[in-house]
Amino acid sequence: MPRLVIDDLEIEVPKGTKVIDAAERLGIMIPRFCYHEALGAVGACRMCAVKFIQGPFKGIQMSCMIDAQDGMIVSTTDQEAVDFRKRVIEWLMINHPHDCPVCDEGGQCLLQDETVSSGHARRRYPGKKRTYRNQYLGPFIAHEMNRCIHCYRCSRYYQEFSGYRDLGPLQIGNRLYFGRFKEGRLESPYSGNLVDICPTGVYTDIPARYKVRRWDLQRSPSVCIHCALGCNTIGNAHYRAVMRVEARMNPYVNGYFLCDEGRFGFSYTNGGADHAQRPWTSKIGGADVTVEAALAESSSKLSEIAAVYGPEAIVALGSARNSLETQSMLSRLCRRKGWLGPVWFTDTAVYRKVRSAVERLDSGIAVSMREIEFADFVIIAGADLLNEAPMAAIAVRQASRKNAQIVVIDPRPISLPFEFRHVPAVPGQIERCLGSLVKGSISKEELKGLDSAAKGFCKALPAKFGDKESGISIPELADQLMASRRPVIVCGTGIVSESTPALAADCAQLLRESGKKAGLFYILPGASSFSSALLSGPDAKGFAEILSEIEQGSIKALIAAESDPFRDFPDRERLDKALSQLDLLVAIDYLPTETVKRASVFLPSSTVFEMNSTFVNPEGRVQHAERVHAGGVPIWGAHPPRIVRNFIPGGDHQPAWEILWKISAETSVLESVLTLGELIAAEMPAFEATGKAQYPVNQARIIPEKSEGSFVKPKTRPEQGQKPKGFNLLLTDRIFASREPSVYADTLEGVFPEPALFMHSEDAAAAGLSDGDTVSVGLEPGSIEVKLSVSERMARGVLILPRQKGIEWQRMKDFSAWIALERIRKI
Amino acid sequence: MLSEELKQKLRTMIADAESPREKAVDVMLEIQERHLWMSDEAMEEASDLLGMSPLELDELATFYDFIYRSPVGNYVIHVCDSAMCWLEGHQRVMDYISIRANVPIGGTSPDGLFTLLPVCCIGYCDRAPAMVINRRVYGKLTPEKIDRILDKLAGENEFHPPE
Amino acid sequence: MAQPLVLFKNRHPNRAATLDEYKQSGGYEALQKFVGGKVDPGEVIRLVDESGLRGRGGAGFPAGKKWEAVPKDAPFPRYLVANADEMEPGTFKDRILLHTDPHCIIEGMILAAYAFSATKGFFFVRPSYDSSAVIMERELEVARGAGFLGKNILGSGYSFDIVVHRSGGRYICGEATALLNAIMGKRPNPIKPPPYPTEKGLWDRPTVVNNVETLACVPHILRNGPQWFKDLAITPKGAGTKLFCVSGKVNSPGAEELPMGTPLREIIEKHFGGMIPGSEFKACLPGGASTRFLTRDHYDVPMDFEDLKAIGNRLGTAAIMIFDQKTCMVATAHNLMRFFARESCGWCTPCREGLPYMRELLWLIENGEGKEEYIDTLRSMCKQVWNSYCALAPGAAEPVISLLDFFEDEVREHIRLKGCPFHAKAGN
Ligand SMILES: Cc1cc2nc3c(=O)[nH]c(=O)nc-3n(C[C@H](O)[C@H](O)[C@H](O)COP(=O)(O)O)c2cc1C
Ligand code: SF4
Ligand code: FES
Repeated sequence: MPRLVIDDLEIEVPKGTKVIDAAERLGIMIPRFCYHEALGAVGACRMCAVKFIQGPFKGIQMSCMIDAQDGMIVSTTDQEAVDFRKRVIEWLMINHPHDCPVCDEGGQCLLQDETVSSGHARRRYPGKKRTYRNQYLGPFIAHEMNRCIHCYRCSRYYQEFSGYRDLGPLQIGNRLYFGRFKEGRLESPYSGNLVDICPTGVYTDIPARYKVRRWDLQRSPSVCIHCALGCNTIGNAHYRAVMRVEARMNPYVNGYFLCDEGRFGFSYTNGGADHAQRPWTSKIGGADVTVEAALAESSSKLSEIAAVYGPEAIVALGSARNSLETQSMLSRLCRRKGWLGPVWFTDTAVYRKVRSAVERLDSGIAVSMREIEFADFVIIAGADLLNEAPMAAIAVRQASRKNAQIVVIDPRPISLPFEFRHVPAVPGQIERCLGSLVKGSISKEELKGLDSAAKGFCKALPAKFGDKESGISIPELADQLMASRRPVIVCGTGIVSESTPALAADCAQLLRESGKKAGLFYILPGASSFSSALLSGPDAKGFAEILSEIEQGSIKALIAAESDPFRDFPDRERLDKALSQLDLLVAIDYLPTETVKRASVFLPSSTVFEMNSTFVNPEGRVQHAERVHAGGVPIWGAHPPRIVRNFIPGGDHQPAWEILWKISAETSVLESVLTLGELIAAEMPAFEATGKAQYPVNQARIIPEKSEGSFVKPKTRPEQGQKPKGFNLLLTDRIFASREPSVYADTLEGVFPEPALFMHSEDAAAAGLSDGDTVSVGLEPGSIEVKLSVSERMARGVLILPRQKGIEWQRMKDFSAWIALERIRKI
Repeated sequence: MLSEELKQKLRTMIADAESPREKAVDVMLEIQERHLWMSDEAMEEASDLLGMSPLELDELATFYDFIYRSPVGNYVIHVCDSAMCWLEGHQRVMDYISIRANVPIGGTSPDGLFTLLPVCCIGYCDRAPAMVINRRVYGKLTPEKIDRILDKLAGENEFHPPE
Repeated sequence: MAQPLVLFKNRHPNRAATLDEYKQSGGYEALQKFVGGKVDPGEVIRLVDESGLRGRGGAGFPAGKKWEAVPKDAPFPRYLVANADEMEPGTFKDRILLHTDPHCIIEGMILAAYAFSATKGFFFVRPSYDSSAVIMERELEVARGAGFLGKNILGSGYSFDIVVHRSGGRYICGEATALLNAIMGKRPNPIKPPPYPTEKGLWDRPTVVNNVETLACVPHILRNGPQWFKDLAITPKGAGTKLFCVSGKVNSPGAEELPMGTPLREIIEKHFGGMIPGSEFKACLPGGASTRFLTRDHYDVPMDFEDLKAIGNRLGTAAIMIFDQKTCMVATAHNLMRFFARESCGWCTPCREGLPYMRELLWLIENGEGKEEYIDTLRSMCKQVWNSYCALAPGAAEPVISLLDFFEDEVREHIRLKGCPFHAKAGN
């Protein structure tokens, strides 16, 4: 490890550390513009110049371009270096519009900081300023090119890091321009990072623009709850409104970046632009009441029902957007009070897949997103990363940039910002494909070395996978997998068969036992699906069973804690009928869901920005989100009212766990439980190890010990039973349009994709349909109408229907459906 | 907008290369040969052939001097304004052409025949002042010589209207 | 007219030498001997190294050393690039060489390629040299027909072919690493080594970039031996001949081949017809626009790498631009700076912003709006642009540094008079 001296301070750094980073470790912040840890060094801005006094380099050099080496003596304060850096600032500022007073970057502007710190206060350059024309870049990002200092960070991030090709450097010399070929919305669903990465105000966040100065914001570290990955964010609030969300660097999770859904999909917490979209007040029978009245009503009704019908006439629903605190409380109450539940998922199959995924993870094999970046072979089985877990696609891209082979086994028309081999297998074939790929990668010698369980598993894997359709040779890929050292399997839990998550785990384990440093990463369906799986026993009832019991009259009350079966359940008619039979429907939520609208009692809960809460991501990482602001109806849009009141309008919300505890009227719950940490630890043994006394817990991983000898015999034949006729209709997620908080975020409205039904082009041709046709898909009882989108890059025999606003897929009756060809008609 | 025949020619060119992008400039020069300049549609079609995004191709198109991203005349007159030509009176040449061919400096004549632009040293310093018109170079320019060149080009053009 | 020595020995007015003419003068003998005779490529490198051949593209890097830098076990394919971009103002030697003896360049390329086992060659040529590109394409076909180029050259088992790559036209494309980006269809920004192109160049494969003139010397060296080549130079440290291109206020501007180290005075007075009537020598740039002015005091300097280095200057491309007593040096410097500012690739700050800054100051001085403090600003910026990413900006500063060193009085005169004492009309 090289030792060097910077400004008279000695430091030893790992080999390959740049001098600029070595200095930072000493607390010396060398000015920079183009250098960014995630993007690497390119030496363009020349701002990081320092003087090298001794060692292999001499004189003024860029500290971002030079690796620390033994014997270097470096001065950042040398007059020549200081003068040069001052000059760079002067050069950069000759064309800058000096519009800080109207610039949203003001107060968080690297250019501003470094200009001020260089002492540059007077523009001496006698020439005119160069000016540019800006482009329209879509609803998220405003473009103000005059502020540009040409550090190339934006184009390097956009093209190299995130893999999109519609923004880049144009022109030459001092006319250099960063923009698009033509005006229009940026194609990248990761475009918001331009705002963070630009060291000045060229790209600013449109939803937040012109509203607030940086120093007036309430800011706290938060966690994104839009998908399961748990990217780290910073929430920014002002006047009771969340104004914007920024990425917060977490080296293991999201790095420096966020996807646009997570960044811009926050407005549900404000109730949209007019604030009217959020249920702010408690209600009984649809009429506004005080929160105390609603609490009293629910708790007395609950005790009544329990007294008359027994506690098992009450069922509690949770969801994958509950905080860990809420989930633990739900779990505790159900146990202590004898209520049914908690039921986390309306789709019992998904629930079982998540459970088996979480059960099969063990700390030796579960990788973080960061570790995916270092994989040399990535198998993505049954997951559409861009749509289901956007930042995971960015992580895989980093592996791809380092020449990793990427194989996607999925029936959907997958698109990802990097090159990959796509095997468009139907759900029932994913296991065969994965299995044969992994089997083919185990060499004879490796097989010999395996223990009997692993050997048996390997032998039972299917040898061949019919790859004629994809035109991809599995044996060839298997050879590459054989040569890899750090393969990672990324496995979905959506469209795959119930046994797939376990098979993926076994495959990863097999790769591991055959000598590779193999990893496993699951794509889960919601921010806290990991913890819901940990909290539920194997015998938990599924939602369909609960529904039957309601229908039979044995369940009389339902508590929906941030859960909306109307969104998730595929048979709305049945649900409708069943729920109207209830004596009591208590809804606790911050979203204006259908369930909230029908509740006999409604209680407003707090969003992630309004409370301290905890979430566990798919690699078992516990992450704490701090309260950003107290919340309440924002006073945006008008001047704050001058009426003096002793309460905050819309300030009734409280964390769902607190509401639950209050309505349970279960004083005894807290008798043996003192703190939230202890509550969670009591419900979730894995949490205990993280030190319950130290609530909040942040960044600890709670992956349970893997049960030994868990190789499961893989299915060698395609799924048994009569294959139904027609097309298998698969419900999927789509970025911006499917996930729960996002559909209530009007900030995303501008980017909602048009609803579409995807079909293989040959299937469509055979049915006499073509791309862009509006088709009617006949379901019982009605039908849905949707635009057809055909693709060659997907499996035949399936229909892909992204669940999104504008499509009433809840008419399907079942989560998976087989649609006969005749029932798809062009209209 | 590109004819199928031209596209086929371009495809053949591209197929020869180590990687398609290598032929980006050649493709653009070839298109300009027929269509004079790279319109947005031409950029889109060319980038498609090259397997690049239009922006990626534009990154190159806007970098280079001899790729035109706005309409130009049938003849693009680049008058060298670097050291030797400057010394030998490039400004006089510019002015003369401007008046003679009724073409504004940096613009195109109303008849669409000529565009007049300055250019960096074209490597004919021994024959300053010099200019290059559609890949042909003319040196030791005098008013008489310029007259002859412009007349000839205007004459040629009557028989070969551009596509 | 000087006596053509080596490169120009087949010079004909208005046409290029044919393959036969080239062969008659000994052309392709070296190819027969070394490639045809399957001589160890290491021997080619050794001979070229021993000859003292230094790069003619401006930097003067020893050619043999560059080829040697390609690791022996480096992967294939490997590439050779002939740099015929030649956009340095004042430089046109490569064009004249091309129009004189294209096969000399082709043979040079094949031999250089053989030296480090290159499999493909690129001839990178600027747009205003389209006629040269056409000649080259034609003669490459001729060479292929004669079995000198393509598969299995002269039955040796060695295969190598050359394609002409047309540039879209920008000065920076001549810079070796930017040129590689240009060939690959990327934006022609330079790439700072390491890794050096000889290890990771085109498509991450070993690549050597040489100037056209450098390559053209190779067949002659191999045919006549390194000592012969060394002896061609006048100066003891020099080697070979040099194509000098002279333009500006002389009677017969053009390019001539002269022994390395021929004194400036002799070049001007003997070989290029002397100063035009009424003109006196005031200054010249000895090696293209990115070198420093030589004044009357340097009139007798031998034109060689080392001798110019000794007086703080550079031979560059040996493109001598001659200015007379009627030329305003401020206006000249401004014109040069305008060139560099316009051609900056825009990658790094000192060049992208600093050069236009300097251009603006020079323009104000020339137009009588200059201030004394501009002189200091210019001086310090000239030093500071040395910390730019590539060599363009340092080159751009050279004329200005020497303007301030040798013609400071003239600059101050502009400021004092609030105008140009020459009333020279400088374009902007
Ligand atoms: C801005 C700039 C422009 C250059 N232009 C040319 C050029 O037009 N032709 C050339 O041969 N070398 C040019 N060079 C030098 C090349 O970088 C490189 O050194 C040369 O081609 C190597 O060939 P040589 O070793 O045979 O001289 C240029 C260098 C710089 C910094
Ligand atoms: S000095 Fe910088 S801006 Fe100028 S040409 Fe070189 S890299 Fe480009
Ligand atoms: S940070 Fe080092 S050159 Fe920009």
